Amino acid sequence: MAAIDQTGGAAQAAPDRARPREKTLRRRSPALRRAFPYLLVAPAVIYLLGITLYPGAYAVYQSFYLVRFTEWIPVGFDNYVELAGDAEFWQAMLNTLLIGGIALTVECVIAMALAFFAYRDALIRGWRIAFLMPMLFMPSAVAFIWKLAFNDGRVISDLLRKLGLIEGNLDFLGNIWLARTTLIVADVWQWTPFLFIIFVAALQSQDQEVEEAARLDGASWPAIFWNISLPMIRPVIAVAVVLRGIDIMTMFTNVFILTKGTPGGMTETISYFIYRQGFQTFNFGYASAAAVVMLVITILAAQLVVKRAFKSGKT
Amino acid sequence: MAKRRKSKGDNLVLRYLVLGSWALFCLVPIVWFLSIGFRPRTEIITPTPIYWPTFSLDAWRLLLADWPIFDYLRNSVLAVTGSVVIDLILGIPAAYSLTRYEYRGRDDIGFYILSTRMMAPAIVAIPIFFLFRNLGLLDSVFALMLIYAAVNLSIVVWIIRSYMLDIPKELEDAARTDGAGDLRILWEIIIPACLPGIITASVIAAIFAINEFLFTLLIASTKNAYTMSVALANFTGGSDGVIYNAIALVSFLAFLPILVLIVLIQKHLSRGLTMGAVKG
Amino acid sequence: MARIELKDVVKRYGGFTGVRRMDLDIADEEFLVLLGPSGCGKTTTMRMIAGLEVPSEGEVVIGGEVVNEVDARDRDVAMVFQGYALYPNMSIYENIRFPLRMRGIPKADQDRLIRRAAEMVELGDFLDRKPGALSGGQRQRAALARAVVRQPQVFLMDEPLSNLDAKLRSSMRVQIKHLQRQLKITTVYVTHDQIEAMTLADRIVIMEKGAIRQIGTPDEIYSDPADTFVAGFIGAPPMNLVEGLAENGRFAAPGLVVACPGGVSGRVTLGVRPEDCHVVGEGLAALEGRVYGVEPTGETTYLTLRTGETLFEVKAARDARFNLGDLVRIGFDPDRLCYFDTETGARLRVQPYRSVA
Ligand SMILES: Nc1ncnc2c1ncn2[C@@H]1O[C@H](COP(=O)(O)OP(=O)(O)O)[C@@H](O)[C@H]1O
Ligand SMILES: [Mg+2]
Repeated sequence: MAAIDQTGGAAQAAPDRARPREKTLRRRSPALRRAFPYLLVAPAVIYLLGITLYPGAYAVYQSFYLVRFTEWIPVGFDNYVELAGDAEFWQAMLNTLLIGGIALTVECVIAMALAFFAYRDALIRGWRIAFLMPMLFMPSAVAFIWKLAFNDGRVISDLLRKLGLIEGNLDFLGNIWLARTTLIVADVWQWTPFLFIIFVAALQSQDQEVEEAARLDGASWPAIFWNISLPMIRPVIAVAVVLRGIDIMTMFTNVFILTKGTPGGMTETISYFIYRQGFQTFNFGYASAAAVVMLVITILAAQLVVKRAFKSGKT
Repeated sequence: MAKRRKSKGDNLVLRYLVLGSWALFCLVPIVWFLSIGFRPRTEIITPTPIYWPTFSLDAWRLLLADWPIFDYLRNSVLAVTGSVVIDLILGIPAAYSLTRYEYRGRDDIGFYILSTRMMAPAIVAIPIFFLFRNLGLLDSVFALMLIYAAVNLSIVVWIIRSYMLDIPKELEDAARTDGAGDLRILWEIIIPACLPGIITASVIAAIFAINEFLFTLLIASTKNAYTMSVALANFTGGSDGVIYNAIALVSFLAFLPILVLIVLIQKHLSRGLTMGAVKG
Repeated sequence: MARIELKDVVKRYGGFTGVRRMDLDIADEEFLVLLGPSGCGKTTTMRMIAGLEVPSEGEVVIGGEVVNEVDARDRDVAMVFQGYALYPNMSIYENIRFPLRMRGIPKADQDRLIRRAAEMVELGDFLDRKPGALSGGQRQRAALARAVVRQPQVFLMDEPLSNLDAKLRSSMRVQIKHLQRQLKITTVYVTHDQIEAMTLADRIVIMEKGAIRQIGTPDEIYSDPADTFVAGFIGAPPMNLVEGLAENGRFAAPGLVVACPGGVSGRVTLGVRPEDCHVVGEGLAALEGRVYGVEPTGETTYLTLRTGETLFEVKAARDARFNLGDLVRIGFDPDRLCYFDTETGARLRVQPYRSVA
C-alpha cells in the first residue's frame, strides 16, 4: 500500500498516508443489517399505537360495559343495540354528512373557481397571504368570530335588514337550517383557503407547455382549464379533498362553541355526540360504542379512499 | 399580457371582481374582530350592532387583571414546542427508514402512520382521558405535549419523508463509501439536505398543536394547562355572557406568531399541508 | 492498491436477474472499463464491488479478502458518481475532508491532504465554495478530489463524465487517466460511451443483459469482436453485419459475393468495418449498391449504400462526393473480415487473429 508518490519514490514517509495504520474489516451481521430499518421506525410506530391501538382496544372493551363512576357493569351488546335504536345517534350521523357534505362541496367549488382566476396571475401571487388569513386563526377563535356575527352581535341580521332582505332579527340558533348555515359558513370561511392554496400550487407546478400547446390549438382558457389543467391535477385534488373531508367529518370545535347541537340536536355531529355522551352525561360505555362505530367507518374510509388518494398523489 | 387580455374567457374585470370580493370576505371579519379587541364591552353586544368603534383598552385591563393570560401563553408555548421536539425525534428516523431502506412491510407501516391522521380525536378521547387520569397527568402541560406529538406525528413523518425522497440516493452511497455509518449519514448528510422539509413539518405541526381543541378541553381544567385555544372558550363572565373583546385580543396574540411562521414557510406551505403530495 | 476478483457473482432483484454469473479478475493497478448499453448491469456490478449492494450469489474479493459481508464504509474503495453526489450543505473543502474525518485521519494531516488533492484536480481556488456555486466540470473535479484524497485501494467511477458537454468530457478524460496512472490505483470505470472506453481502458468488459460478452484490450475488442453484439456495439458507425450463405469458400448475400475461408459454411453473418471497405472499379467489387445517404464529417465521408434489403456503411475518402442513387462498387480488405454464426451470433474462428499493430 504505497502512498501517493509524486516525487519518485522518496516520499514514503508516514504522514503521507491517508489511511489509519491498522485496518480491521467490520463485518456487520446480516441480522442487524436487516433489523436496522425496523429499529428506526419502531419508536414512532409504538408511540402511534399508543394513541390508536390502545385507545381503540380500550374503547371496544369499554363499549361492552355500563360505566357508573368507578363501577363497570358488563352489558354485552346492549350499548350497540341501544345505539342502533337511538334517534339522536342517527340524527348526528345525518347531520355530520349533511353539514360536512355541503361545506366540503361549497369549499371545493369556491376554491376551484378562485384558483382558476388566480393561478396565472402574478399580481395575486404576491397577495396570496391575504387569502390565507382565515386559516391562520385558531379554530376556536374563528368560532367566536361567527358566534358574535351570527348570534350575539346580530351583525348578519342587521346587514340583511339593511339590504332589505328581512325584517327584525333572525334567530340563527332557533332554526335548523339557519343553525347549520352558521356552521357551514364558519367552516367555509376558514378552510376554503386550504383548498385554494393547494389547487393553485398544483396548477402552477404543471408543465406550462401543455397549456401553451392547447392555446395554439385555439382553445379558450376555460376550455383549457376544464379539459387539460384540471385532469392533470386530479391526484392532488383527491389528496386535498380527502384531507379536508377527514377534518370536516370530525367537526367538533365549531359545534361546541357555536351551537352546542341546538336546535334540538339538529346540528350535533358524531364527534359532539360522543363528547356529550361521555363527558356531559358520563355515559362512557355508550359513548365508547359510538366511538367504535366511528372507528370502523374511519378504517373503512382509510382503506377505500385515503389509501387510493395517496397512492395516486404520491410521486 | 396585452395579448392575453383579448383572449376569450379571460376577462380581467371579472377576475379581479371575483378574487377581490373573496379577499374582502376573508379580511373584513378579521379587521372587524380586531377592532372588537379595542372596544368597550358595552358596545359589543347590543340590540343593533354599533359599527363605528369607540377606542378602549378595557379588554387589556380585564385580561391582565382577571385572567392569567401569561400562564395560557406559557402553556401553549411549552406544550407546542415540546410536542414538535418529540415529533422530530421520533419522526426523522421513521421517515428515514421509510425512504432509504427496502424491507418487508415498509409500505404498510408507512400507510399505518398516515392513517393515524384520520383518527378523529373524539374516537380516542375517552380512553386517552382515562389513560392520563390513571397516570396522574390530567391538567398538565406534559400530557398536552404527549398528545399533540401523537396527533401530529403522522404529518411530520410524511412531510419529511416527501423531502427525503427528493434527496438523490447517490448522496448517501457516496457518504457510505467515504466511510460514514447509517446514523452519521442521517445526521450529517440527510438532515441538512432536507432541512426545509423539517422546518415545514415543524411549522405545520406547531400550528396544528396551537389550534388543538378537543383533547386540551378534556385534559386541561385550570390555568396549569389551559392553552390559548381552550382558554378562549372560558372567557365568559357568568351573567355577563361571552367576553368578546378579551377573546379577540387573545385570538390575535395567537394569530401573530402563526402568521410569522406561515410567511417563513410560504413556499413550502401547500406541500406541507398535503403531507408532501403536492410539490408547489 | 489491490486486485479485485468477482467469482460467479449473481445479483437478483426479486425475479429479475440484474447480473448473471459474472466472473472477472481485475489486476492490481489496472484501469478496467465496463461498457454496455444502459440497463445491462454495469452499475449493479460496480455497486457490488463498492459494497453498496450485496451479491445474491458468488464472492467479491478485494486484495485477497472476501468482502461480501464487509460494509461499504470499510472496504476502502472510493466512488465517483454520475451526479457527483457532492454534499450540498458542505463547502468543497468540507466535502473533500469528509472521508478523512470518517476515517479518523489526524486533524494535523487533513489540511495538507485536502489541499494536495485539490491541487491535483486544479480546484485549489474553489475550496470555500458550496457545490451549488460550481460549474459542472468543477463539481466533477471536486468529486474526483474527494475520491483521491484518501488514496483508496480501489477507484470506482460510474459514468462520471456523462453530465458534461463534449469538450469538457475529452479534457476530463485525459485528467482521469493521468491521475490513475500517477496514483496507480486499481480503477473500475463504467460508461456507455465507447470513445471513453477505448481511450481510457487497459481492458474493456463488454456487457449485455447482465452478462459479459467479451473481455479484452480496446484493440482486441475493436478488431476481434467475439460475437455480433460486440461487433455491432463497438465502432461509430459500427461494423456492417450482413446475413448470407457460405459454401465452397464463397460467401453470398443479395448484392454481395466474397471469397471466404473454407471452414466457413452454412448460414453465416459477415462482418465488415466501414473503414475496411474501399471504392473500387468494375471487376474487383465484392459488393454493389446504390447510394442511399452521404455524410461528410470533414475528416472523412461516410456513404450509406443500399444492397438488396440491407443498408451498408462505407468509409470513403474525405473528398468523395456522390449523388443519391449512384451505383458504387466496393471491395473489402480480406484479412479484416469477420464471420459469425447467424444462429448464435458467435464468432467463427477460422483464421488467426491478426493484430492491427
Ligand atoms: N434496486 C433495484 N431493483 C430492481 N431492479 C434493479 C435495481 N437496480 C437495478 N435494477 C435493474 O437491473 C438492471 C441493471 O441495472 P444497472 O446496473 O443500473 O444498469 P446500467 O448501469 O448498466 O445502466 C436494470 O434493468 C435495472 O432496471
Ligand atoms: Mg448505470
